[in-house]
Amino acid sequence: MTNLINNYQSNVQLTRRGFLQNAAWMAGAVATGVGSWVFPAKWAHAAGPIKVGIATDLTGPISFAGIPNSRIAKIAIDQINADGGILGRPLEMYLEDTASNEQIAVGVVRKLVQRNRVDVVLGGITSSMRNAIKDVIVGRGRTLYIYPQLYEGRECTPHLFCTGPTPAQQCDDLIPWLIANGGKRFAFPSANYVWPRVLNEYARKSVENNGGEVVYEEYFPLDQVEYGASVKKIMDEKADVVFNTVIPPGLAPFIKQLYEAGFSARGGRLSCVYYDENCLNFNTAAEMEGLASCLDYFQNIEDPFSAELQATYQKKHAHKDNVLFTAGSASTGMYRGIKLWETAVKEAGNVDRESVSAAMDHAKIANGPGGPASIVPGTYHTQMNMYIAVAKDGKYEILDKAEQVHPKECG
Amino acid sequence: MEGTFQVLFSILSWTSVMVLVVLGLGVIASMMGIFNFAHGEFMLLGGYTLYLFSVWGLPLWFGIVAAPIVVGIVGMILERTVIHRFYAAPIAAMLGTYALAVIIRETVRSLIDGMYLRVPAPMDGLVVVGNISIAEWRIAVLVISLLVLLGSYLLVNRTNFGLRVRASLENPELARASGISTSQIYAVTFGFGAALAGLAGALMAPLLMFSADMGLKFLIQGFLAVMLGGIGTFEGPALGGAIIGSMASGLPYVLNPILADVLVFVIAIVLVKFRPTGLVSKWRR
Repeated sequence: MTNLINNYQSNVQLTRRGFLQNAAWMAGAVATGVGSWVFPAKWAHAAGPIKVGIATDLTGPISFAGIPNSRIAKIAIDQINADGGILGRPLEMYLEDTASNEQIAVGVVRKLVQRNRVDVVLGGITSSMRNAIKDVIVGRGRTLYIYPQLYEGRECTPHLFCTGPTPAQQCDDLIPWLIANGGKRFAFPSANYVWPRVLNEYARKSVENNGGEVVYEEYFPLDQVEYGASVKKIMDEKADVVFNTVIPPGLAPFIKQLYEAGFSARGGRLSCVYYDENCLNFNTAAEMEGLASCLDYFQNIEDPFSAELQATYQKKHAHKDNVLFTAGSASTGMYRGIKLWETAVKEAGNVDRESVSAAMDHAKIANGPGGPASIVPGTYHTQMNMYIAVAKDGKYEILDKAEQVHPKECG
Repeated sequence: MEGTFQVLFSILSWTSVMVLVVLGLGVIASMMGIFNFAHGEFMLLGGYTLYLFSVWGLPLWFGIVAAPIVVGIVGMILERTVIHRFYAAPIAAMLGTYALAVIIRETVRSLIDGMYLRVPAPMDGLVVVGNISIAEWRIAVLVISLLVLLGSYLLVNRTNFGLRVRASLENPELARASGISTSQIYAVTFGFGAALAGLAGALMAPLLMFSADMGLKFLIQGFLAVMLGGIGTFEGPALGGAIIGSMASGLPYVLNPILADVLVFVIAIVLVKFRPTGLVSKWRR
């Protein structure tokens, strides 16, 4: 009983301390409502500050991605301000919690656009979130929107720019690599929503064009956590490569059951294109040994700029919690998006949406997480370096790098 | 042959887990007439206890033992402070336990930064015989679940304590007149149901991704199982849990998993339609 009370007390302290630590990085922020903050500009300019709206999931199931997104956005904006802002004007960050809930999101994003009159909105993690808020921003809101997450593609809306990887960027290099380093028989176990379905469509073509075949494709309810039947089918089909798009909470049980059934023991290759450093602890090192991922950034790539950015994030946030700066959680796309937008505003010479969009259409940055990046004109998508990494002893080893991969979207 | 064995083991393994989950829910629903919407969160607390043991570097088996004790005590405290106020109003009780569920879930979410975590199992080896490969922990979960099921059955049906619990259930006034402290019995019973959830949570956490939403799925299927099995007996919910568990893990072998997921509900609801009081209670009356 005493132990229980002690546990309880230490938990309470942990919560309070955790809360204060979480709040510390927001020093200088002004809360303007529940789940809503403003980071005021540090200096004044006749034309006023440029307002950057960040709408992301700080709470709820997607907060593992939303929290680092908000942090890296703050880092990028602080860096720009430290270099004198844009066009002499300081940036002011308006942060809204979309709470992993599309209905809440529409409300807070409307507030950003209509009441705060931000000049650009960045954010949204899931495709359903993007679809819920995009019209509020670019349609009725007449504001520029930048979406940072890797996704299924096909978003070709004017004034909406995507700065995360597309299916082509994640598959074009990886699928041939998997065939060479795994085999020709592919299994597509998938969560039943839009991203896996559209990604699999692209991946299937890629597998078939490279001489492989898809021997199993099955979709699961999003909350399924028991995969005995699916694992048996994959084993019975003698699949060489499991190209996984199952997501948490089903992800770890699926990989565990696949391992237990002896898939890796018989030489099977596991692959999952959203796997980043956040996912390293989902399963034991043995269970995920040999897992191949393909993303725009990993912590151990050789790029001094990325290393410095990672160090900045770690210095500010690593002591607080386990929420990392990674590619799979849209954080790289967020940083890239802000910096691309910075160059576009500089070129446009004002924050007017039409002229910034026109400049954004060919925006380029020499340095970003993972390397340089540029918007491919007319496509609203971003060209970037892609890396193939394979899990070894619970860490990633970078095995391949493809320079400036084309997103192949929108024309 | 090996394939059949592996399939059967896989179904049995999941079924045993579902029975354990439903047992705690069923005990509370049967003995106290309350649907405990915080049951999934009691599982979550059980899993969290095991997680803390792993973080603190304590022996994991102690965590498995501690989980039902900790959650049982939490359950008793909640019964004495909150739940007992709701006995007269079952609908309010649902809302009350739902509120508790949200509080527990969101507290745990902030404690673990909303992350998905891995909780290690006390045993992580594989038993490989020929072409059959089975995780030791799944065998342990199966054995523990069966032992707990048997132990609970004996406790409720064969002990003096069980007699007093059943007496308080069937006729509280007479039980009180016979010198049984029904309020004490209710607290202990609720604690027992919570402890079963805590144990189930600790046993399952290593097989799942530990996150604040871990208990949600089990709550819905658990309710269905209790309805299917019937309220008022010990065997009813256990049987309901076994049917739901084996359907949920067995149907995907022959059907598309999305269809199977829906079909579990459809079949259960059709069965409930034909046996509105549940499979077991009907036989008794």
